[in-house]
Amino acid sequence: MSGHKMEFPITWGMVIDIDKCTGCGACMASCQTENNVEPQREASNKLRATSWMLVYELTNDKAFPNHDIAYLPRPCQQCGNPPCVSVCPVIATDKNENGGIVSQVYPRCIGCRYCVAACPYHVRYFGWYDPIWPEGMEKTLSPMTSVRPRGVVEKCTFCHHRWTQAKDAARVAGKDPDNLDDGAYVTSCVQNCPSGALAFGDIKNPKHKVHELVKSPYAFRLLERLGTDTQVYYISRREWVRKLGDNYLKSE
Amino acid sequence: MGLDRRAFLGLVAGGTVGAMFTPIPWKLIDDASIWTQNWPWIPRVPKGQVDYVATTSKLCPAGEGLKIMRVAGNPILAGGNPSHPLSCGGVSALARSEVYMLYSPARIKSPMKRNGKTFAPITWEQALVEMAEKLGAAKGAVASISGDNTGTINEVLTALTAKLGSAGSFMMPSEATTAAKAMKLMGAQGQAGYDFENADTVLVLGADIFETWGTSSRNRKAFGANRPAGAKPANSYVYVGPTRNNTAAVCDQWVPAAAADLGVVALGIAWHLLKAGATSNAPGFDTFKAVVNGGFGPEDVKRATGVAPETLAAIAKALASAKAPLVVTGSPFGQGLGAAPVIAGMSLNMLLGRINKPGGVYMLPELPSVVPGALTRAAMLDGDLPAFLKGVESGKTPAPKALLIYDANPAYGLPEAATMAKALEKIPFKVSFSSFMDETAALCDLVLPNSLPLERYDDVATPYGSGFCVYSLVRPIQKPICDTKTTGDVLLGLARKLSIDLKFDNFQQVIKEKVASLAKVSGGFVAKDVMPWQVAAGKPAPALVGGDLWKALEAGYAWTMVGQAAQTSMGFAAEVLAKAVKAGKPATATVLAPYAQLRTGTPVTGMPCQDLTTVPDTELLGDTTFIRVNSETAKALGLKKGQMIKLSGAGVDCQAKVHIFESVMPGMVSAPLGFGHTAFDYYSQGKGANYLSLAAVVEEAGSGLSMWIAPEVKIA
Ligand code: SF4
Ligand code: SF4
Repeated sequence: MSGHKMEFPITWGMVIDIDKCTGCGACMASCQTENNVEPQREASNKLRATSWMLVYELTNDKAFPNHDIAYLPRPCQQCGNPPCVSVCPVIATDKNENGGIVSQVYPRCIGCRYCVAACPYHVRYFGWYDPIWPEGMEKTLSPMTSVRPRGVVEKCTFCHHRWTQAKDAARVAGKDPDNLDDGAYVTSCVQNCPSGALAFGDIKNPKHKVHELVKSPYAFRLLERLGTDTQVYYISRREWVRKLGDNYLKSE
Repeated sequence: MGLDRRAFLGLVAGGTVGAMFTPIPWKLIDDASIWTQNWPWIPRVPKGQVDYVATTSKLCPAGEGLKIMRVAGNPILAGGNPSHPLSCGGVSALARSEVYMLYSPARIKSPMKRNGKTFAPITWEQALVEMAEKLGAAKGAVASISGDNTGTINEVLTALTAKLGSAGSFMMPSEATTAAKAMKLMGAQGQAGYDFENADTVLVLGADIFETWGTSSRNRKAFGANRPAGAKPANSYVYVGPTRNNTAAVCDQWVPAAAADLGVVALGIAWHLLKAGATSNAPGFDTFKAVVNGGFGPEDVKRATGVAPETLAAIAKALASAKAPLVVTGSPFGQGLGAAPVIAGMSLNMLLGRINKPGGVYMLPELPSVVPGALTRAAMLDGDLPAFLKGVESGKTPAPKALLIYDANPAYGLPEAATMAKALEKIPFKVSFSSFMDETAALCDLVLPNSLPLERYDDVATPYGSGFCVYSLVRPIQKPICDTKTTGDVLLGLARKLSIDLKFDNFQQVIKEKVASLAKVSGGFVAKDVMPWQVAAGKPAPALVGGDLWKALEAGYAWTMVGQAAQTSMGFAAEVLAKAVKAGKPATATVLAPYAQLRTGTPVTGMPCQDLTTVPDTELLGDTTFIRVNSETAKALGLKKGQMIKLSGAGVDCQAKVHIFESVMPGMVSAPLGFGHTAFDYYSQGKGANYLSLAAVVEEAGSGLSMWIAPEVKIA
């Protein structure tokens, strides 16, 4: 349940090719609407705004013309060893299901925000305000995800509902829901990225593309030294980008 | 995962919770928390049968095919359509907004008539009567503006304007207008199309090809497809421009050069190609050679642009030795470029023998037109709207008596906003067909809201930049939510009232006829199993099974055709280059380097509300937008990080905060476009400044085209 690494036969993972990401924000926009995050009037207040997927701008910190930038899209990292789970006093968040997606049970969340503080990737968002859609826009809410009231914590779910749908579709087609074809379950951000910068699949399934991608010499994970053992991998051929993935001392 | 309340109760009932012996305390705590969260004012999600229907994005200029998820017949989400060649599954933040923008607070809910400073709702019949009367009286002096680069609606609009006695039918300025001018000066036929899918070495001169330029989603898919994650890329891209923008961020190399110098850089590369023996039979080659050799040697280019001789030589070498090199030229902010840099860039393609070749440039023929008396796309793109409005403002050009504005927001989306507003004021009767209350609609006498793309028939024909002819259908998948009408229908109704015969009764008929005419074009096919770039690369084009085209389009497939219009005299237009491209002294003034992004919408959509979250706080914070300068420029201008400054240009002042960003050339002030709306809704209004208004329009030597590629600004 917490504090130690859990292994699952299926391990859903995302592989993000930083060298292809233009920073356009389409993944963020896709996520917002897929998951019923309300439009936020004061979205520039990043301490209060909710964005399950967030695109960070990285820089190599050099001056012109040696400066370089990269964009790093950041969904929930779905840690194998999630720091948020161990601090939740009411088990509103857990890692206990095949697939390894860290859950978030809104009706159980008491809004204490321990998990927000514990997550080293800042993927958790507390609902400071009631979610409000402009008049009529609630008709475009997705039936796949519930709307959260203010006062609870939410985060990227790897579009868990899409997994459920994919399993249903497999069952209907007479296929094994626990051995989905590559691409049968992809998240909204992955599906819509116009650059094809994101890939998704079961890391443990050799028939899935991500199984190979995570073995790339250019693959890395964020803050690997923390031992969080995340299910989101990044790929960059640029060394400075890979180095930024972890907290290195200047001398290292 | 996101469990809803019911699913969670299911879990509790299943007894999976907790290590306690009795679930009762848990259940009680749980009920209490559910009760505290059970707030009736939190919206419930809709229920009903889920299905998917196909259409095409019209709000996004990239023209992506869309799959719309519906619940009980209501559109819920817009996703990319994997079988559509301009989407391949991808969708921009703007195309994603097609659904929820149906309920944008900025939507105009019914036809309206100006009543002093405000508007009063009127009926469609009243609107038609009023319009017929005013336009009848304005006969001989009616102008129109369209911001739709791809729709057959332009045929209806321009045919009607012509029959009313046209004072000019204009397209909003864009990459397409600039390129059309350049092609015309070169004596070329057709619209330049870029085959990124088959290109292996791409030189991008200025054009923000992965963000706003042309078919950007398709461009990005083409780029990504040849770059397997973590492996050596099978293509290489070099970006030349003033900032490391979204495009440059993923290119293999960024070569800093001012937007004003793109032509110089191109001719500098031509110098190397010529030296290595490149030649051409095209008209004007000798003059071209003389122009290039006369002033664009490596040292000339270095002096003028700062680009090192070895950098230029390396680019030239990479292009010359590539199997499928391609050069694409455009404005870093999607507008305002002169024709000469495009000519210079196209000259490279000619020297490299890349015209009408896989991975090169195809001069795409226009699709057959169906409305009698309509302007061709080429003729429409030939108009120069900023020049026209400047003429009207200064009194040199007689002001039209009436102006019809379709899918355009000239009061916001043109440079030199102060001048343009004055010109618009001089036009006594203005009608806007905008769906949203934008800055231009707010100035008009009648506002006759167009239904949104998900509520109407419309089409997308070969967006600028596409490497192949392509046609896809936009179709109504939902009844109009407000009292709006398809503008095509309104215009045809108006024509009837004025006894003008435009051949069609409603717009759906126009589209049907267009589709029927496409079915007859030889070489056309439906892109399903074979994509147009595969045909360009040599795969045989499948036959078009007649009669089924409408059905295929409705199912979300696109009609496409590969190849180019016959060329008789495509030449180098060297006399234009000689006049317009000069390797002069570098600019000493501070120059504005705007950048545009789809996530901040277009002048027509305003800021899509869900995209506001995607804007970083280094671009917009509270109500202030940031400009970007590198630390060297900041030091020279005495600017500090976070400092509030005033930018002035073209008689307009704009506020900004300073963001230090090293990937901006020295002397350049990079500024985001798409902010600073005074109209629309609270997601757009008052958020930052409209830096486009600072750009003064100048006339390009040699072509006479209006341009605003490198506006000077003062900082205080
Ligand atoms: S949609 Fe793709 S390219 Fe755009 S920011 Fe997200 S990951 Fe990057
Ligand atoms: S996986 Fe789904 S929930 Fe997570 S960031 Fe992507 S779209 Fe959002």
